[in-house]
Parts: sequence; C-alpha cells; structure tokens
Amino acid sequence: MKRKLAGKQGNRPLISGRDSNGYFLPESLAEAVNLLGQAGEGLKVLAGGTDLLVDLYERLIEVEGWLDLGLIPELREIKVRAEQIEIGAMVTHAQLEKSENIKKTLPVLAAAAAEIGSPQIRNRGTIGGNVVTASPAGDLLAPLIAYNAVLELVGKDGVSRVPAGDFFCGPKQTIMKRGQLLSRVLIPRPSSGTIGCWIKIGKRKALVIASISLALVVRLAKGGVIADIRACFGAVAPTPLEIKAVRRLAGGKRLEQLDFSQVGELAAAGIAPIDDLRGTAAYRRNVARELLIQALEKVQSTGGEIIADQADC
Amino acid sequence: MKKRGRGIATIMFGFGYGEGFPDHSIAAIEIKEQGPILVKTAAADVGQGVLTVLTQIAAEVLRVAPDRIVLSAGDTALTKNAGSTSATRQTYFTGSAVQKAAEGVLALLYHYGSLALHCNHPELVVKDGRVYRYDRPDHFMSYQELARLAHEKGELLQAEASFFPRTDAPDPETGQGERVYVAYTFMTQIAEVEVDTATGLVEVLRFDTALDLGKALNPQAVEGQIEGGTVMGMGMALMEEQVIKAGITLNPDLTGYLIPTALDCPPFYSRLVENKDAAGPFGAKGIGEPVTIGATPALANAIYAAIGIRFFELPITPDKIIKALRQEQGTNG
Repeated sequence: MKRKLAGKQGNRPLISGRDSNGYFLPESLAEAVNLLGQAGEGLKVLAGGTDLLVDLYERLIEVEGWLDLGLIPELREIKVRAEQIEIGAMVTHAQLEKSENIKKTLPVLAAAAAEIGSPQIRNRGTIGGNVVTASPAGDLLAPLIAYNAVLELVGKDGVSRVPAGDFFCGPKQTIMKRGQLLSRVLIPRPSSGTIGCWIKIGKRKALVIASISLALVVRLAKGGVIADIRACFGAVAPTPLEIKAVRRLAGGKRLEQLDFSQVGELAAAGIAPIDDLRGTAAYRRNVARELLIQALEKVQSTGGEIIADQADC
Repeated sequence: MKKRGRGIATIMFGFGYGEGFPDHSIAAIEIKEQGPILVKTAAADVGQGVLTVLTQIAAEVLRVAPDRIVLSAGDTALTKNAGSTSATRQTYFTGSAVQKAAEGVLALLYHYGSLALHCNHPELVVKDGRVYRYDRPDHFMSYQELARLAHEKGELLQAEASFFPRTDAPDPETGQGERVYVAYTFMTQIAEVEVDTATGLVEVLRFDTALDLGKALNPQAVEGQIEGGTVMGMGMALMEEQVIKAGITLNPDLTGYLIPTALDCPPFYSRLVENKDAAGPFGAKGIGEPVTIGATPALANAIYAAIGIRFFELPITPDKIIKALRQEQGTNG
C-alpha cells in the first residue's frame, strides 16, 4: 500500500495502515477504527497535536504509537445540508473561522474558533481534538452545546450519537470508550430568528486560555417569543456547562419581558468554578453574571430579524 | 460599563554602573589596504541595535557611508573589553570609545594624507573614502592607499581608544555624591486606558512618550525601544506574575506566565527630546532601561483615574479590579 506523496513533500514514502516505528497513517475511517481496536492504551490518536504534543513534551503521557488521522479525507469536510451542518472531526479552527457557510449558519462557533490560540494553532488544531481533549476551557465546547450539537462516535461495534451536552464528564474526561473515534459533529441547522453571541474573557487578547467564556444562542419564534435559549459557559466548572435554569425561566417569554439581572444571577448561581491561574472562583461568578447580561443586551439590540448575528460582544 | 482614564509618570534614570565602579569600554578601528573599514568591539547586540549605532558613529566620524564599515563583534581574539550589555550603557560607553577610536583614525588619515600629498593638514579634504587637496580634487588618494603607505613605514592605519569616565561612590551616610552616574535620562509617559467594570479587563488605548535622550542617533531604533520597553512595562502592570505556592512555581511556562501580545499593544506616539546635556557620542544618552520604567506607574495612575481605586500590588489583574470594585460597592464578591 505504499505510494508517493506528490508536491512539496517530495518523495517521502507514505505509511498507510502499516506500522512504521509505531506510526500509523490510515486513509479511511474504517481502517483507523480497525487499527485502534487492535492496539493497546499506548496508541495515541493524533489530530492537530496542539494539546497532545504539549503533553508529550512535558512527559505527561506515555506514547507507544501514533494513529494519525490526517489523511482521511471525509474527516476534513464541512457539509451544509438542509437539516443539519456536518463538520468532520479533522476540520481545523482556521477552516471554521474562515468558512462562509459556518459564519453564516453558526456564527457563534465561527467567532469562538477565530479566538482560539494563534494563527499557527488554528491552522493545526481541530474541532475533534478540541472536543475529545475536553478541557473545561475548550473554546468550541460551549458553542457546540449551545447549538445542540450531536457527536458521532465510531467504534468496531458501530456508530453511536451523543448530544454534546452529555459528552463531557469531568476535566479531560468524556464518555468515549477505548476503541472509539470521534468522526463528525452534527449540528441542527438553526432556523431563522436564531441569534447568538460569543464572549471570551482572557487575560490578554490572543494566545490565551479563557478565564471564562459564554456562548449564548437564542431562537425567537414569531412575535419575538423565545422558543429556545441556551446559555453555555466555558472554564467555570469541571465541564463546559449549560445553565438550564435560564431556559426554564426565559422560554416562552419575550426578551423585553426578562429582567436581565435576574437571568444573570442564574448564571452566577449555576456555575461551579475554582480558583486557578486564570481567575478566582469569586471573579468567575461575578463575571458570569455580567457576561450573560451583556450577551442578552447584545442579542436584544440586534432584534429577531436576522438568521444569525456574528455577534462580537 | 467601560470607564476611561489617563495616567502620567515621569522617571529619571542614572545609567552605566556608576558609583565608582571601574566601568569602561575599549574599541579599535583599522583601515586595511583592501576591503571595508573594520570596527573591533566586544559590545554584544542582543537585539537593541548597538552594532547599528556603532556603525553609524564610525561612518559619521570617518565621513564614509555606513556600508563601508564592518564590525568584528564578539570576537575575543580581535577585541578588548566593552563591558556588559546592561545598565543602559553600550551606546554611551562603547559608542564613545568607537567615536574616539574613529577620531584617532581620522587624525591618521590627515597625517598620512599630508605626507603623501605634500601639504599641511588644513589644506586637505577627507571625505567619502578619499583624501585630496582643496585645489586638486581629482588628484586624490583613497583611505586604503594611505593604509598601504602606513604599512610601507611599518605602521598600521589603526587607532584604539577607551572611554573610562570617573564616577563617585555615594556618601554612605547621605547617599549623595558629586558624580554618582555619568548622566541621567528623563522620560514622561501618559497612558490612556479603558477599564471594563463588568469583567475587570483593562484595554490600553494609547501611550504618549516624551524621552529626553540627548540625541537620537537612530530615531527609528529609539522608537522601537520605547515601544518594546513600554510593552514590558504593560506586562508588569497588567499580567506578568510568577505564582509560587509552597515553594513551587505554578506557572513555569509561557502558557501560564503571560506577556502582552501584539494584539494587546496600543498605538504609540513618541516625541524625542534632543537636549544635549551629556558627554555621550554626539550628545546621546542611554535609553534601554528607562523606557521600561514609566509604563507601569502611568498605567496604575490611569486605572485610578478611570475607576477611582488605587492598587498597591502588581500586576493589576481583572480579578483584583473586580474584587476592589465589589468591595467599594459594599457587596461581597
């Protein structure tokens, strides 16, 4: 199965599905799943490497081999269908940031992708890696939950689908089982009247891990009634977190009927923050409340006419 | 709510080691029969641009274009002590030594030129690599030809010079001294900020700087150092912090120890005050450390102007700002 890679890479021989000093580069998802099923714990699944290689260099992980997903074409695709948007696990943050389709249909996700790390990190890092790494501060996670994303997991026992909101169970912990790969992220296409807002607070403007982040997605029905509202925070709990009390309080009402301060208090009360280098728990409670108020004001000021607003609060 | 404020800070900085320390610099310049003019200096350029400035100084004194000069920087076989690249001293100390060495070579050009052209030195023009009599510009000798003339006499067209200014140790009782440092650099900066009272984030909107540097030998490099130094001061004011718990540094890397990025930098407006009050090369004074000092107090003052709260601990992080604002409102954050 050896073949030559064309172009700039020159005549470097390609490894496909065969062991070359513990490095595997399969060309299909089925092949990747098969390899992962045969391997032990030491085979690490490599996407963009922006988290994994840091762990490797800091000797936080032991690696016996690599399963590089970089040559599986279907994992690189963004497909916009009538009902849903399908994003391959190896789609990079830069792709999300620049895709006209994503900017139009999922502006909160595009805005979050645009603020990840630096251009170099956005060129390497992937949506799948961001999800599977499951950092409480992972920038794409709150937007995915806010958009009701479903994660498609593939293993030797077949395909399963899990709502993003049920996927994370702790810092860097998910419900994924050994032998499973994340293949795609499926997001219901937001209906007209969906407005969103993304706010990331960090100690500087680039190349920073969020101290706290908020993805707010509001779907307004005719007459401005809130059909759905999802306020999802990052970096405020062991996992990315939706404040479901907001949905209970605000659902069925119109934005102008809400007391934004009261909604903000739900956020302050609903999160479970810790003290760390990026902020104290008290700071995060205060800012969670303020961010939600700001985001609601922003959403209100844009009105319900547009499909989705590229809100940069 | 976003609140704006402006803060000002003025600093003075005595540079060089001073206080009686035997601080000095040695440089030599040689013109050979072929090739460019060689400046021999051990001054280390760590990115601040001292080699550019030394090239300019030698070129200016020797009346040639800078591209005629090469430096043998950091070659211990060729060079003598230039002291450390620290204490804001290289432009002043090594710059002075290079200026004096260049003046020595210039005098030798007049010397060998007057011998070769059979005239007194006031009748000579030394310019653009050529030596000639005023009344016979076509009948010239190049600097290199004069070097050959020197070699024929068993001499070198070379000069070495030292800059070794006196400083005094301050009186241990009073801290006073007649000349504790060779000179002082002065700077005033104004910072303008916007503080977000919801998140505690401080956005630096602009920095205005007036720097009394004696003489700007390379204005663009000076502006670069003002901007770089100010960004360092911004980092100290707003984010740089080593967090130690039970003897362990919790942020021993650049993921946890943050410095400003280009996106955090405001527009800079710099005015260079050329008040030649010191004995440096062409009146220049050192600026390296002075330009890092003013930003932090200016920013602390600007934050005070914006929200009315004084901070006495750096860095002034969003955490501290929110906590202080909440305390001021009388609520527990």
